[in-house]
Amino acid sequence: MSENAFKTWQCRTCGYIYDEEAGDPMEGLAPGTRWADIPDDWECPLCGTPKSDFDMVEL
Amino acid sequence: MTTGPKIDASIAETIISPKAYAQGTPIDDAFRELRKSTPLGIAEPKGYEPFWAVTRFDDIQFVERNNELFHNGDKSAVLTTIDADKMVREMMGGSPHLVRSLVQMDNPDHMAYRRLTQSWFLPQNIKNLEPRIREIAREFVDLMLAKGDTCDFARDVAFLYPLRVIMEILGVPQSDEPKMLKLTQELFGAADPEMNRSGKADQDVEAGVGAISETVAEFIEYFNAITEDRRANPRDDVSSVIANGQINGQPLDHFAAMSYYIIAATAGHDTTSHTSAAAFWALCEAPDQFAKLKNDMSLVDSYVEESIRWTTAVKHFMRTATDDAEVAGQKIAKGDWLMLCYQSGNRDETHFDEPFKFKVDRSPNKHVAFGYGAHVCLGQHLARMEMRILWEELLPKLKSIELAGTPKRMESAFVCGPKSVPVRFTLN
Repeated sequence: MSENAFKTWQCRTCGYIYDEEAGDPMEGLAPGTRWADIPDDWECPLCGTPKSDFDMVEL
Repeated sequence: MTTGPKIDASIAETIISPKAYAQGTPIDDAFRELRKSTPLGIAEPKGYEPFWAVTRFDDIQFVERNNELFHNGDKSAVLTTIDADKMVREMMGGSPHLVRSLVQMDNPDHMAYRRLTQSWFLPQNIKNLEPRIREIAREFVDLMLAKGDTCDFARDVAFLYPLRVIMEILGVPQSDEPKMLKLTQELFGAADPEMNRSGKADQDVEAGVGAISETVAEFIEYFNAITEDRRANPRDDVSSVIANGQINGQPLDHFAAMSYYIIAATAGHDTTSHTSAAAFWALCEAPDQFAKLKNDMSLVDSYVEESIRWTTAVKHFMRTATDDAEVAGQKIAKGDWLMLCYQSGNRDETHFDEPFKFKVDRSPNKHVAFGYGAHVCLGQHLARMEMRILWEELLPKLKSIELAGTPKRMESAFVCGPKSVPVRFTLN
């Protein structure tokens, strides 16, 4: 996988998936928003788990 | 208990009334008034330990996410009378719980037990189940359409389709599905004479608790046999995971394992059934929303999400404060019992635009129907996928839908949704 390829991140608590390519417009995150550009105080929209408790996953 | 604003006595009786939830309007009116006048107040209905009714979206989320400060298991996780609580504790060696599932656990056990099956219910795993779930959905859609131009959508489709899905995930044979449905309805419909074990409307405490414990015993007997089978012959199913699972290097505690099966075999379909039935009911009452969805099936995901908010199948869970706390500026004392009123949170006017309107394209739609925090519903991704598939298979075939009678909800203040939705339909 190239370093610039879009990645996916998953909440450890509930399994919510953040896909950089799709973003999450409902959360105000436009398609293409990189994980690193999401504020550190952002929380999982489904369960409130902090950003630090997400893991990068390959789907 | 901390002193605080008291909830009007008649409203306090309403928010615990199974009949009020079945009727719909009384419960919506009661919560609307509470959100306006006493959003976080003390309810003292006769026969119950006083408790805080948490009715606003933000406050429910706050309590839900502070899992160390507000425990699930210290007192009953579901609203219960003082007499029933006493009887359960006598039966269960001091524990306030008839079962010990994820719902009744706190950390560290909760996290350890949840992780055991979590991977099964993650989006990347359930995606693999989609082809088979679509086959099941098609089967029930075909059965519905074969009935002619009318059916009871709750009984003929919504009760049966999610049941088949979760039973396949558990590895329970189809021949046992009627038993699983009956036991589930006895458990969640304990206050409804059409659903409970005795068939009686007003059971005394002894009979009520006795009936529920008999249902639990029947579940345990059934899943004991499943456990033995899966230990001898492990398969690729959730029952095998529970039967052979280990926590800290030890097999699961027997009672916790039985409780795990029970929660999966009940909550794993009942809430999705209620939500599907209520979703179709809502479309029957809103032809403009049906037309909008038919014209743009890309709205199916938001239709599902709105259905989940609209139905809010789980009406409440209880939490117990582990220490003195403050919620929305209100002092809560250690040991206080709090009722998280999810239906109220999902109608909160300060969080939702026109909350009493069913909108297939509602956006944003962040709700608390699945809970929030560490106890957020384990099966939420499966539930969403099941419903999406059902609507993708059914709606394109339908030209028109309407109610063909008066729908009825189950009488329950805990898990509640439609038990009958008579519909008439025409095909394309």
